[in-house]
Amino acid sequence: MSADDLYQQALVQLAREAAGAGRLPAPGVEATVDNPLCGDRVTVEVRVDGGRVAALAHRVRGCLLCEAAASLLGRGAAGLGEGEVEAIRRSVMALLREGTPPPATPLPGLEVFAPVRAVPSRQTCVLLPFEALAAALRAALQDAGLTGHQDAGLTARPEADPAATGSTSTTAR
Amino acid sequence: MKKDLLAALRADLAAKKSVVLATELATGAASLVHPFGEGRGVEPRLFAAAREAAQDDQSRLWQGPAGTVFLRVYNAPVRVVIVGAVHIAQALAPMVQLAGYDVVVVDPRRSFATEARFRGITLSTDWPDEALQKLGLDRRTAVVTMTHDPKIDDPALVAALRSEVFYIGALGSKKTQAARRERLGKLGFDEAAQARVHGPVGLPIGAVSTAEIAVSILSEVVACLRGGQAALRKP
Repeated sequence: MSADDLYQQALVQLAREAAGAGRLPAPGVEATVDNPLCGDRVTVEVRVDGGRVAALAHRVRGCLLCEAAASLLGRGAAGLGEGEVEAIRRSVMALLREGTPPPATPLPGLEVFAPVRAVPSRQTCVLLPFEALAAALRAALQDAGLTGHQDAGLTARPEADPAATGSTSTTAR
Repeated sequence: MKKDLLAALRADLAAKKSVVLATELATGAASLVHPFGEGRGVEPRLFAAAREAAQDDQSRLWQGPAGTVFLRVYNAPVRVVIVGAVHIAQALAPMVQLAGYDVVVVDPRRSFATEARFRGITLSTDWPDEALQKLGLDRRTAVVTMTHDPKIDDPALVAALRSEVFYIGALGSKKTQAARRERLGKLGFDEAAQARVHGPVGLPIGAVSTAEIAVSILSEVVACLRGGQAALRKP
């Protein structure tokens, strides 16, 4: 069995686990990001405490990769701050674009997406949940009066696939 | 006609709801019948007659137990929902408008469902199941799926199969159709249920070009709406 097969199994398992799928019991702040080329759509909802993610839920309309990435966040996003979320997003990008092995902290398990490096057209699917989390967290922090650093990467997404100019919409409920 | 009856009729028309105005010729007494509703509170024979008239899209005189009744049909506009803002949809949507029907193009892929590609056409970038629920599928609606992507087509077909739409079409080759039948089968739609899906879509007129395929699809929609002979062929 090749490494890719192992990763494939891990991706399917991760997607099926659907950790964090659904809504938070007490409504938080949410952000939706989509991929206009394939229609994948991710809504991430967070509640913050002390400037960090206290709870996360997500709703995914999309492919297995998108579901797997959201599920990984469902497993491990609690406790992350804005800087860490941005660092994770950059790690995912570096893994997908350059094959750079991702660090095991603060979010373990990112290496499962290594095979997607060979499929540029699907990389946005992996990135969507991370971008939705960044947007939701930023909105939640603003809501809480804890405006974090205005990170250019979150609003303009200059490094994202130029064709995939996904829109971000946030809703505070 | 009484004022409140007229107001109710106008409200139904505004809500694009099919309604039949039943007037007893001898007395002038009039009432509204919703032919595709449950018929509660309506004399069963009158309800059946109104329903038949609405299905035929034809007003008529009806000999009721209490005398002759004029059944005036006000049907909701025919509406074709195209799922997939693809190039055949670009040809089909304006043809549907020319035929006098409403048209909506649904595609969650925003780069396809753009105003520039579909000038003057109502677009929805919701996922098909959500979009179709909002639109409210009824007996005056046809649904055609065109994306070739099960992720987008299947939720639309499922919603259509669970509704009373008069036409369901699925674009795709025989091979694509076999795969689609297998997937829908796993979701609990047996062969009889799936017989409602016309696939490969369109009448067999030997269409080659994009526009010709659109003609063949629209022809099949008309045939199913009007009960034309062509609608009788096995989908």
